[in-house]
Amino acid sequence: MAARARQVVKAYGSGETRVVALDHIDVDIARGQFTAIMGPSGSGKSTLMHCLAGLDTVSSGQIYLDETEITGLKDKKLTQLRRDRVGFIFQAFNLLPTLNALENITLPMDIAGRKPDRGWLDQVVETVGLAGRLKHRPTELSGGQQQRVAVARALASRPEIIFGDEPTGNLDSRAGAEVLGFLRRSVTELGQTIVMVTHDPVAASYADRVLYLADGRIVDEMYNPTADQVLDRMKHFDARGRTS
Amino acid sequence: MTVLKTSMRNFLAHKGRMALSAVAVVLSVAFVCGTLVFSDTMSTTFDKLFAATASDVTVKPKDAGDAGDEGPKTGKPESLPASAVAQVKKADGVKSVEGAITSDSVTVADSKNKNMGPASGAPTLAGNWTKNDLRSMEITSGHAPRGPTQVMVDADTADKHDLKLGEELRTITAAGDFKAKISGIATFKVTNPGAAVFYFDTPTAQRELLGATGRFTHLSVTAASGVSDTQLKQNVTKTLAADASAYKVKTQEETADESRESVGGFLDVMKYAMLGFAGIAFLVGIFLIINTFSMLVAQRTREIGLMRAIGSSRKQVNRSVLVEALLLGVVGSVLGVGAGIGLAIGLMKLMSGMGMELSTKDLTIAWTTPVVGMALGIIVTVLAAYLPARRAGKVSPMAALRDAGTPADGKAGLVRAALGLLLTGAGAFGLYTAGQADKASEGSLFLGGGVVLTLIGFVVIGPVLASFVVRVISAVLLRWFGPVGRMAERNALRNPRRTGATGAALMIGLALVACLSVVGSSMVASATDELDKSVGADFIIQGGQQSITVKAEKELEKTPYISHFTRNKEIDADITLPDGKTTKDTSLSAADPTYAKDLRRDTIAGEQSAAYGKNAMSVGEEYAKKHHLKVGDKLKVDFDKGRTAELKLAAITSDEGSLDKGAMYVNIATVEDYVPANRMPQSEIAFAKAVDGKQDEAYKALKDTLKPYPQYKVQDQTDFKQDLKDQVGQMLNMVYGLLGLAIIVAILGVVNTLALSVVERTREIGLMRAIGLSRRQLRRMIRMESVVIALFGALLGLGLGMGWGATAQKLLALEGLKVLEIPWPTIITVFIGSAFVGLFAALVPAFRAGRMNVLNAIATE
Repeated sequence: MAARARQVVKAYGSGETRVVALDHIDVDIARGQFTAIMGPSGSGKSTLMHCLAGLDTVSSGQIYLDETEITGLKDKKLTQLRRDRVGFIFQAFNLLPTLNALENITLPMDIAGRKPDRGWLDQVVETVGLAGRLKHRPTELSGGQQQRVAVARALASRPEIIFGDEPTGNLDSRAGAEVLGFLRRSVTELGQTIVMVTHDPVAASYADRVLYLADGRIVDEMYNPTADQVLDRMKHFDARGRTS
Repeated sequence: MTVLKTSMRNFLAHKGRMALSAVAVVLSVAFVCGTLVFSDTMSTTFDKLFAATASDVTVKPKDAGDAGDEGPKTGKPESLPASAVAQVKKADGVKSVEGAITSDSVTVADSKNKNMGPASGAPTLAGNWTKNDLRSMEITSGHAPRGPTQVMVDADTADKHDLKLGEELRTITAAGDFKAKISGIATFKVTNPGAAVFYFDTPTAQRELLGATGRFTHLSVTAASGVSDTQLKQNVTKTLAADASAYKVKTQEETADESRESVGGFLDVMKYAMLGFAGIAFLVGIFLIINTFSMLVAQRTREIGLMRAIGSSRKQVNRSVLVEALLLGVVGSVLGVGAGIGLAIGLMKLMSGMGMELSTKDLTIAWTTPVVGMALGIIVTVLAAYLPARRAGKVSPMAALRDAGTPADGKAGLVRAALGLLLTGAGAFGLYTAGQADKASEGSLFLGGGVVLTLIGFVVIGPVLASFVVRVISAVLLRWFGPVGRMAERNALRNPRRTGATGAALMIGLALVACLSVVGSSMVASATDELDKSVGADFIIQGGQQSITVKAEKELEKTPYISHFTRNKEIDADITLPDGKTTKDTSLSAADPTYAKDLRRDTIAGEQSAAYGKNAMSVGEEYAKKHHLKVGDKLKVDFDKGRTAELKLAAITSDEGSLDKGAMYVNIATVEDYVPANRMPQSEIAFAKAVDGKQDEAYKALKDTLKPYPQYKVQDQTDFKQDLKDQVGQMLNMVYGLLGLAIIVAILGVVNTLALSVVERTREIGLMRAIGLSRRQLRRMIRMESVVIALFGALLGLGLGMGWGATAQKLLALEGLKVLEIPWPTIITVFIGSAFVGLFAALVPAFRAGRMNVLNAIATE
């Protein structure tokens, strides 16, 4: 397993105002798999991802990255762990405006003081199709290109796991499809593990497995989904949400 | 109303961000108000003192110096005969007349030969105790002095030196020295700012201070009731009749005015100097305020766009920012006025510590002080915010819809670069012209213009320079820090205007520091150089405010291991030239012939030593040229208080070198032929040369000789140079201290810029933290950005300042500032210090950035 969550609870506030975002969640993320997390707004899907990625702390329960328990780690260790073992793709604002594309891609390794693997880097850059734009600043790139740089950055340091938070949320469908295609290929061809939060059924259809969250619990899952299947399931949830 | 409400809310919402700007306003206003209150208080103190000490009408001999003049050169004050007392008493409306004696040519020492006079530069005064003194003093212990062996001392001096009744003091005057026991202690009823005062009975004071019996320095006339001072003055003048021309008669008010004028000049110089430094702080504060408002406006672009979109006019947006500035100005100024009064009290305490007594009882706050402070604070703040406000008004309604919160400031414009270059070029030309000037007075105009123009030029061109200089500094410094260093560099470069303005604020203060340090060390170097070249004497003996008494001279002359001893006196004379013209009150330097060896000057005609021949003299080059004099000419010299001599011009000294430049030399022996012994001035300075190889012994022997004379100081050349260096160093330190205010404001500016940048880059910081930048690396990155900005400011400032300093030296070379010395240790210390200033400024912003919650920072909304 690339990542595991055991009885994870995340609650905000206390007493009457206590809000439970994650309610005793158990989840296993298999290595070399593309996992999508779906659910309506407020279902806790982003919180789950943040906790798995070591960006947020949990109220109780354990989270393991490979065999390392990350719950309870101090900030310094967590930062190192994110730097060396985790990759990130956010919805927007993925890149530092002061650095060019290549510098952004190698940033995590630069921070760690590691030399990037030249061959691998070239392969990644080639894969995401940025070869001609490495010297450009983010402001000189289109939204799609920016997200591709972010994907390249996440891939370049060969992390054990990549987390994506609505990585295509700000892109039009064509650019989105391109980025998702790269993610898919990196799983199939390079054996990368990816966890992605999304509310787009089409995006989810690129995944090997879809987890459905509602009210802080995993309520369903689906393997090798198609966009239509996902959409149906979503409608089902929505209907149930309305009746319950 | 809405405008005001929005402004209020914005102001309160950004309290923290406004705080630093407010501190800048507070500091500057406080400095102005503090200065005003302090100098007003000083004036009050002196006014009260002068009003209390002057009698209704004072009668003085005509030749007596006015208050504030140098003491008499003879060491004995001008006096009038005791018979004048009876004469004045006959005038109508006189209640009483008292003969009084005051002299400041006096030194009082205790049994350990310690000087009882003030170290602050205030005078030591000795006189006779009269009823008139009861106006300002009362005897608080013991009794008034009676007989030749009793002295009364003022309480402040007694306190300072822990003097008790019965203790023996030695008084040194031109007439010799004598001992007296303390019979009483008198306390001032008003604040005495610092003079040490000693009283004797009348015969003792006459004998010891005037060297004569039956004479007084002035008469204190008291009016009968119902007689005004002016009336009394008229009556007294009338009674003196034919003798009136021999006297100066003054009312209490006139005497007080005269005294006030004598200190007023000094007080004014101090006041305006301090206000000047406050002005510099204000100037630096303007940068801080402009930067703050620029950043606030930039951050609020979307908000402003929205307001524009829903119908706010340009003017309204503009005004809302200005109203915020107004609020800032008001708050800052009010606090500043309060802080200024505190500052004044602090200064008074500080001065008391240094021996200048000031009492909070006299604290004077003129109504103009808070008005000036408030007006300055508010006007400066609003003016500084005007540019950013105008920019806010120009925000298009479309900005609300655009994604980015901060519009890229873009590259510094071509116009800016061109204008900056033009100004700097013009300034540089001014400086060059100043350096080439033939006359210091002409050059100083160019120097001033050049300084101002290059400063403005650098401020304008700063953002352009920032892009370049920051790269250079980073290439040298930050490359050791890898990617963190690179990001710091990029951050410092991303908004050159901001970096430029922040650096410029620091630049101003440091430019002045560099300039003054260059001038200061050039002064020391030039003086040392000249001492080496022209001074042949081994030892220099000086008395500060006290000239050297005849008795001390005799003892010095007899000191062992001395090969020769040279006296140097100053005497005024009216010189009538061969062409019949007369130069009045010309100062002559009367010296022993050995002076030609002690201070060598080149001559353009004749030999320097020839000036010391009988009935001979020398003049300076400029004087000789102006009056077409040549060696052999006869000059009629009418000595002050003496007869007229006909002296032969034996030498003309060159104007090369600044020591004694233009001095007219004459032998003391020659002067003695024409001036009666009791009218001969005392020596201002004296020189001695040791017997060959006995330098150390001679130095020690001279020090031993001067032990009973705490007012004199003997120095060999090494100590003299060190002393000179120390004095210049002290002066510079004081100026640096005052510039510290401007530098503090500049540091606040760096803190402010960083703090606002951190807020602006919240999401970036979140992203970096998410992908693995550690807290420590983040903090380091911010610190380095700060260091780079500080070093940028320092580099510009030091460069500019050294340029100014070098130009000033070149200009003053005409006045003897021949050697240019760049004080590299100071310059390098300041440069390295600036790096630490940068580190210090980044402390809080870096800490806050480190503490930022990663999740909040990357939150999409």
